[in-house]
Amino acid sequence: MNKKTQNIYTIIVTAVLIFGLAFWALLKPADDFSESERRPLDQLPELSIKTLLNGDFMDKFENYTNDQFPIRDTFRTVKALAQYYLFGLSDNNELYFADGHIAKLDFPLDMDSIQYAADRFNDLYETYLKDKANKVIFSVVPDKGAYIGEENGYPVTDYAEMEKFFKENLGFAQYVSIFDLLDEDDYYFTDTHWQQQNLTEVAEKILVSLEAKPFEDFEEKVATEEFHGVYFGQSALPLKPEKIVYLTTPELDSMTVFNYETGMKGGIYNFDKLESKDPYEFYLSGSTSLIEVTNTSAEGDRHLIIFRDSFGSSIAPLLMRDYAKITLIDTRYIIPSMIGQYVDFEGADVLMMYSSLVLNESSTLKK
Amino acid sequence: MLFSSIPFLYYFLPLVLICYFAAPKKLKNAVLFVFSLIFYAWGEPVYVFLMAASIISAWGLALLMDRVKTPKARKTLMIISVVISFSFLAYFKYADFFISNFNAATGLSVPLLKIALPVGISFYTFQIASYTIDVYRGDTKANKNILDFGTYVVLFPQLIAGPIVRYVDIADMLKNRTHTLEKTAYGIQRFCIGIGKKVLFANAFGELCSIFRASDEKTVLFYWIYAAAFMLQIYFDFSGYSDMAIGLGRIFGFTFLENFDFPYISKSITEFWRRWHMSLGSWFRDYVYIPLGGNRVSTPRFLFNIFVVWFLTGFWHGADWQFIVWGLFYGTLLVIEKMWLKKYLDKAPAVLSHIYVLFFTAIGFVIFNSVSIGGAFEDLKGMFGFAGIPFAGTATLYYLKSYALMFIAGSLLATPVVKTVLKRIDSTKIGGKTFAVLKPLGFAAVLIMVTGYLADGSFNPFLYFRF
Repeated sequence: MNKKTQNIYTIIVTAVLIFGLAFWALLKPADDFSESERRPLDQLPELSIKTLLNGDFMDKFENYTNDQFPIRDTFRTVKALAQYYLFGLSDNNELYFADGHIAKLDFPLDMDSIQYAADRFNDLYETYLKDKANKVIFSVVPDKGAYIGEENGYPVTDYAEMEKFFKENLGFAQYVSIFDLLDEDDYYFTDTHWQQQNLTEVAEKILVSLEAKPFEDFEEKVATEEFHGVYFGQSALPLKPEKIVYLTTPELDSMTVFNYETGMKGGIYNFDKLESKDPYEFYLSGSTSLIEVTNTSAEGDRHLIIFRDSFGSSIAPLLMRDYAKITLIDTRYIIPSMIGQYVDFEGADVLMMYSSLVLNESSTLKK
Repeated sequence: MLFSSIPFLYYFLPLVLICYFAAPKKLKNAVLFVFSLIFYAWGEPVYVFLMAASIISAWGLALLMDRVKTPKARKTLMIISVVISFSFLAYFKYADFFISNFNAATGLSVPLLKIALPVGISFYTFQIASYTIDVYRGDTKANKNILDFGTYVVLFPQLIAGPIVRYVDIADMLKNRTHTLEKTAYGIQRFCIGIGKKVLFANAFGELCSIFRASDEKTVLFYWIYAAAFMLQIYFDFSGYSDMAIGLGRIFGFTFLENFDFPYISKSITEFWRRWHMSLGSWFRDYVYIPLGGNRVSTPRFLFNIFVVWFLTGFWHGADWQFIVWGLFYGTLLVIEKMWLKKYLDKAPAVLSHIYVLFFTAIGFVIFNSVSIGGAFEDLKGMFGFAGIPFAGTATLYYLKSYALMFIAGSLLATPVVKTVLKRIDSTKIGGKTFAVLKPLGFAAVLIMVTGYLADGSFNPFLYFRF
């Protein structure tokens, strides 16, 4: 190939790439939503003299072109693969890939954050639980990084220190450690969450502390085989979908769930959510400020109140056998001062269960 | 508008290329002028008028300079033009610096102006000033065509982050330039190299610097990792931008002078500054240092000249004391080299000279990238173990391991080693044939990767954008 041909070849290859993508970007209809990233995509901004002069149009146009770029997910995958395999970086957008799992870098232990969380829990105790609640249990749900981080060379939060802190700073609660009952296989590969079918031992340990019994037998069912976890989209790595499995019993099937946010009634498992942006919301409809479950099969009138994050949604059904009423409260979405209007704490058993990820970045917990 | 952005790569660039190559020869400058204004207005819509005022005043006064006959009148017009250009720079870039220092010295509280700095004002002011002075000196004729002169000032490839192109170097090209396959292919290659340097390397090192700044873990080793990362970030950022500018210029038929020549392989600070931001160094040499007398003066005057130039070099980079200290730091090193050290450096083993240069440039860039003089002092204390911090920690070791390959690749690419090896392979028969096929694909691969990084919305600041 002589120099002239080589020059022509260079010009053609790059021109095809740049002009091809430019025309594609121009002609491609705008998408509304990114399934992989679970977020709405920016649309063409309003063009006016005002938005041109104050620079709004330009800023938003850049976001729009980034969001609407043709085969954007493929380009993001190219970036992720380049980060990991070409440049040898250990993480991409703080996500790392180890033992088949994607996990998020979560370190160091943020003492201010866990102190803030402890203050919120102490406030709840002082406001609602003191002299009213029966038993109060506190438990930290470990991030899967606790099981795959260190051995693969990633820095991890000091989980032992975190547990010690909550044992010492939540004097009103019995601390139940569940770290030894879990390993990485109990979590989804592409999601932050744990898998419900692997939580029976964890549930049993908590129930022992609550002096309640677990269900004797569960039926294991597959809700979907096309689950892409939250890290799937964020990591942009080409990974296979997973199954969402759920455990059920005739008692669980007969329970009713009242959602205070929507005013709607439903079941323990919300099949509509399998088609939503986060299929993990299948369990008790996911992140909801306040829900109440009625269990007519329970003997007696025991009441279990769970202060929780999204991890609590999947384990809660396994704890329900002996409770006639189960209330789940997520203080990331409801101001604690409002809870008293809806929930009676008298004689209730209380479980506070939060993920280490939430505790280490606890500003989302409302005051 | 950033070169390393989707709007530039896939909207602006294709459109300007189509319009430019479709336009007849006599309209090509008009196309470049209009698109350059759009390019500038994209980031700074209102400041287009400021730039237009600078262009009109410099153009008009230069024309007048050519018409008046007496040297005194010419000099007066030159001074008026330079003062107008620099007064814009002084007002928009330095006013708050002077006010805050005045407040600190007097105890008064004159309110700050808090004006946003017009992008690229330091670059285009220097270009305009060089034109005015060159016309005054008779090195070039005043351009009678305001469109051609305007095109020179606003030419988007080099408008906002250099290199500082002098009018005399491209005066002929503004009137008459050729476009060839060879130039276009070369321009594409330089652009791809530049955008690869910026997006794949500078941004990665920049992200590490941000991680360091945000981290609660401060260790001696982390400070040094940060210093090394910033050295590589600023090199790939700025030299990458210069490569893109030179490449785009070549596509449009212009040949801009080189701005970087592997500065980190220098064996002295003097050599470093011959290889780093060469267009700025030569501007100060020709328009400040030599007019002051250069080095053919008494020793005290020579010292004065050196420190004036390096004070101004530091101040040009930013209206803050750490930039001035950074400039004077280099002025001091250059004086030491000139008066004493250079003869020892020439005889010293190459490895020692390289270590010397890298050590002091690391110190220099740590000062440069600090938030204040106090911040620079804290950073230097951290680097040399005077901050009461441990040598290493978990985060330090993690990021050292994570970025190890980036550091190795970045360090190699910051030297001519890779370029030399590739040239040698290219000069062989088989290598040449293989490269003929692979090189264009390689550049396309770089563009695809860059697009991936941009579409992902990755970390993407430009360090020299605000200078």
